[in-house]
Amino acid sequence: MKRSLSKVLVVTLGLSLVLAACGKDDKKNDSTPTTAKAAKSSVPITIGAQDFQESKILAEIYAQGLKAQGYTASVKPLGASAYRKVELEAFKAGTINFAPEYAASMLEELNSKKGEATGDAKATTDKLNTYLPTVGSGLVALEPSDAVDTNAFVVTKKTADDLGLTSLSDLAAKGKDLKLGAPSDCATNPNCVPGLKKVYNADFSNYTTLGAGQPIAQALEAGAITMGVLFSTDSTIAVKNFVLLKDDKHMLSADNVVPVVAKALNTAGFAEAVNKISAKLTTAELIKLNKQYDVDKADPAVIAKGFLTKEKLL
Amino acid sequence: MISLFWHYVTTAHNWSGRNGISHRALEHLRLSLAAMVAAALLSVPVAAWLGHIRRGGFVGQSAVNVGRAIPSLAILALLFPLSLRYGFGLGFWPTFAALVILAVPPMFANTYAAVRNVDPAVVDASRGMGMKPAEVLLRVEIPGGAGLILTGVRIAALQVIATATLGAYVGFNSLGSFINEGFGQRDDAKLLTGAVAVALCALSVDLIFGVIVRRATRWQRKGIRL
Repeated sequence: MKRSLSKVLVVTLGLSLVLAACGKDDKKNDSTPTTAKAAKSSVPITIGAQDFQESKILAEIYAQGLKAQGYTASVKPLGASAYRKVELEAFKAGTINFAPEYAASMLEELNSKKGEATGDAKATTDKLNTYLPTVGSGLVALEPSDAVDTNAFVVTKKTADDLGLTSLSDLAAKGKDLKLGAPSDCATNPNCVPGLKKVYNADFSNYTTLGAGQPIAQALEAGAITMGVLFSTDSTIAVKNFVLLKDDKHMLSADNVVPVVAKALNTAGFAEAVNKISAKLTTAELIKLNKQYDVDKADPAVIAKGFLTKEKLL
Repeated sequence: MISLFWHYVTTAHNWSGRNGISHRALEHLRLSLAAMVAAALLSVPVAAWLGHIRRGGFVGQSAVNVGRAIPSLAILALLFPLSLRYGFGLGFWPTFAALVILAVPPMFANTYAAVRNVDPAVVDASRGMGMKPAEVLLRVEIPGGAGLILTGVRIAALQVIATATLGAYVGFNSLGSFINEGFGQRDDAKLLTGAVAVALCALSVDLIFGVIVRRATRWQRKGIRL
């Protein structure tokens, strides 16, 4: 009994060493900058990644992109089910000093849902910057990118053609019989059912609650619902050829990807280096990057490297 | 939080309508009952027969246990696209199927064990009295194991009612919807309403089964006292 136990221990130990070695190897390959210049700043940049794929991919993009410009940068995953609240705690504790964020959602988190976010990315980021200095030892949001991750109202190509739908303002007249499927926050989210009613005069309060992402996409494809709420950067929209209804009256708030950093980091040179990366991010690019994760099952570090190489940032 | 919860459940408006507590509770119980009946029809006769012939129990139990080993959420996620593809739609049917798979193992295990473990002397005696195999099963073995069989049903019922909350994920409008919405809308009153309502339903049903089990096995206790 004792002997077999120690055997098990030896095997387990051996296996974990092998695994650890593999892990290390991977990291080395992914994070070695190809064209590293001399370090510009002595302060290492630690980028917090929330527990969803897009945050992980964005964190890798900024980390590798900054490394290529001579900074010391690494990604710190915030852990399982760790979202904005955990990220803010990490900022306060100083375990991270950089995080890819979303302008409107971050603003509404900090102002206790006052509804100050608008469809204007610049104005929303400016407003966000009035709240950030009070977080921990002070944060600042840099230039927002053109990549927007917000609610997307989608229909199948057939529905769009049959009813002649292109934008959300078509819903009031032509979308009365559409069956909406949406995540459970939709009933109270100003970017969802209440917004459709207020801004577009379309009543969808009788919607069906479904799990976010795949369940909604599957139900829409099978015709069990006829309009679905997905995220605008969800690769499923492209993969399934869904039609995204245009938010022509600017109901949706500006959830543009925006880098939030510790004030201490924010020198002119650093902001420029970060903005250079943000400038290449668009919603269409983000959809493609998410697709590499969803469909091709690629690693965030590998996806980021491919993107930066393509954009000549490495 | 407790006072918010109390306010929520004492507001009449929250009880009425399609998304009210009453309608959702009824839907929840309707689905649970349907899944329980289907699971009982699928498992009890087979398990009783296998217990009667005293073989196949291990294989049978191992097969149905797969249903218990795979998390219900995973089963639901796997069944959902199938349900859509074959026209069963959202909500009721995919959840129903996932719950049947969940309810079968405890019913099967208890029924098989109940029939298998009836005192061999009693079974021999009934054969000696000239009973046919079917009579032995129906008049001796099943009544003898009734307590254990019903306990299996009782365990399954508790699990089914608690797990039916997952239906909210695939569009089944029931008590789970309160939990789902409470989470999504960061509304603790709703979350607590769903959790408490499910717990009350599950415990009430469990209590009812407890009484039924006692009634069904009263003769056994009397026998022991004699």
